[in-house]
Amino acid sequence: MSLLSLKHVSKTFFTSSGNVAAVSDVSLDVKEGECLAIVGESGSGKTTLANMILGILQSSKGHIHFNNQPLSSKRTAEQRRAIQLVQQNPMSALNPKRSVGASVRLGLDTYQIGQKSERWQLVEDALEAVGLDPNLRKRAPAALSGGQRQRVGIARALACTPRLLVLDEPTSALDVLVQARVLRLLNTLREQHNLTYIFITHDLAVVRNVADRVAVFQSGQLLELATTSDIFSKPQSTYTRQLIGAVPVVDAAELALRNKLAKIAS
Amino acid sequence: MTSLLDIQNLKLNFKTVQGQVEVLHGIDININAGEKVALVGESGSGKSVTARIILGLLQELRQARISGEVYFDGRDINTMKPKDCAKLRGTAMSMIFQDPTSSLNPVITIGQQFTEVLRRRNNKLAQAICDEQATRMLNDVAIPDAQRVLNAYPFQLSGGMNQRVMIAMALANRPKLLLADEPGTALDVSVQAQTLTLMRELVNDYQTAVLLISHNLGVVREFADRVYVIYQGRIVEDGPTSALFANPKHAYTQALMNAVPRIVGTGLAKVPEVSDAFLAPRITHSDVT
Repeated sequence: MSLLSLKHVSKTFFTSSGNVAAVSDVSLDVKEGECLAIVGESGSGKTTLANMILGILQSSKGHIHFNNQPLSSKRTAEQRRAIQLVQQNPMSALNPKRSVGASVRLGLDTYQIGQKSERWQLVEDALEAVGLDPNLRKRAPAALSGGQRQRVGIARALACTPRLLVLDEPTSALDVLVQARVLRLLNTLREQHNLTYIFITHDLAVVRNVADRVAVFQSGQLLELATTSDIFSKPQSTYTRQLIGAVPVVDAAELALRNKLAKIAS
Repeated sequence: MTSLLDIQNLKLNFKTVQGQVEVLHGIDININAGEKVALVGESGSGKSVTARIILGLLQELRQARISGEVYFDGRDINTMKPKDCAKLRGTAMSMIFQDPTSSLNPVITIGQQFTEVLRRRNNKLAQAICDEQATRMLNDVAIPDAQRVLNAYPFQLSGGMNQRVMIAMALANRPKLLLADEPGTALDVSVQAQTLTLMRELVNDYQTAVLLISHNLGVVREFADRVYVIYQGRIVEDGPTSALFANPKHAYTQALMNAVPRIVGTGLAKVPEVSDAFLAPRITHSDVT
């Protein structure tokens, strides 16, 4: 069953140098419980699409349905709560003047989740769920490492008990070891909380290991949408093959796959 | 082969309000002329401070205590006068930074910045010659419409274009050593791949030695001849790239390798938390010829 459905969604920006079609005529379904990766280079419309799903931007054309209800320009609190965002840069995603706990609590207060008296407990539960010490809630973001801050970002989204998480390059600012830990955490959370992910990234090696399906975007258009294994074993478009071919690889098996795709491309 | 850069037992301490913080615990790095060497490690491992010491920048910082030797072309940077050290920067050694757009001066044109760089070597160089050299360098980094780029400001160019401009500037004075601190991390994967290929071809042509600083093992494997793995201010493993990638021996290097997601889809490895094994003594792979 599809949780989120986009039908002929477009977004055009009107600028002084003319109209820019950031997203053109995109239709896709996100199934409940799946992880759909959205890949493409800078300017391909990934983030604009995410912003429309989150309600930060309004689509110029087309319709977005969530849980079989249309998402209008005025969303209900329930709809806003159900779709949460984890941002790219953990250094700038948290308010530096708020304690970590206060940042996580903000969503609880906004959506009136739980009794007032039990909200700090919910904050601590959320921090614990992402593998952080609940005592960290009184700390400022500056006292935390990048990986810890990204976990706080995930806890903040999770505390609102969402159904859909939009992950905008959640690990691109992290080191490889920290990235591996955060990705494993995201996988576990998806199972435990029955979450659906939209995973935006340009790192195809990450996509290969976390996503169920992949949507490839180029210049605002949906170029290719298939299961992850199909995208990597028989990519249909030259652009997808180029994207996979550009991934820096570390072992012989990966090199073999890349060379195979390069051969098809030429 | 004589070494171009020879770092011996380099230690770095920072004096902070909380007391002394030991950042580098005596590292040794050796780079031969024309060799491409990578220094790989996580944030806070001491990669970038090492580059700044080689450039002679940290020596001027009052809170920094540096000991050990950093021989560049036979002279010790640590004991050199700041004035002499400044003369080396931009001429005999140069650096490419992570984020190209913020590393270029936003208020002057690319052409003016090129002139500034070229005049570091010869301050009487005529404008026409500067422009001609800059055009040639931009052509070398596959920028065809050099004239337009020279008249442009950094914000008018894409990230990939700015990165190529940075490479062209860094190599304009034909340095003996290029320090590249996470080049391309801020770029898309396809643009990053093009940039690295270009950089590799150019340094091969110019016989420039490179110290590539990165946490991306894939990039390191594709670029470097030799690799040093750094962890918490210590070199834990080093050797020729092919040997080290084929058979990583140190626990930390193995953990790093396992953590890299693979495009063949082998799943996500379980990464051990900080372990004592990561602090095991250094392992050096013998040179395979």
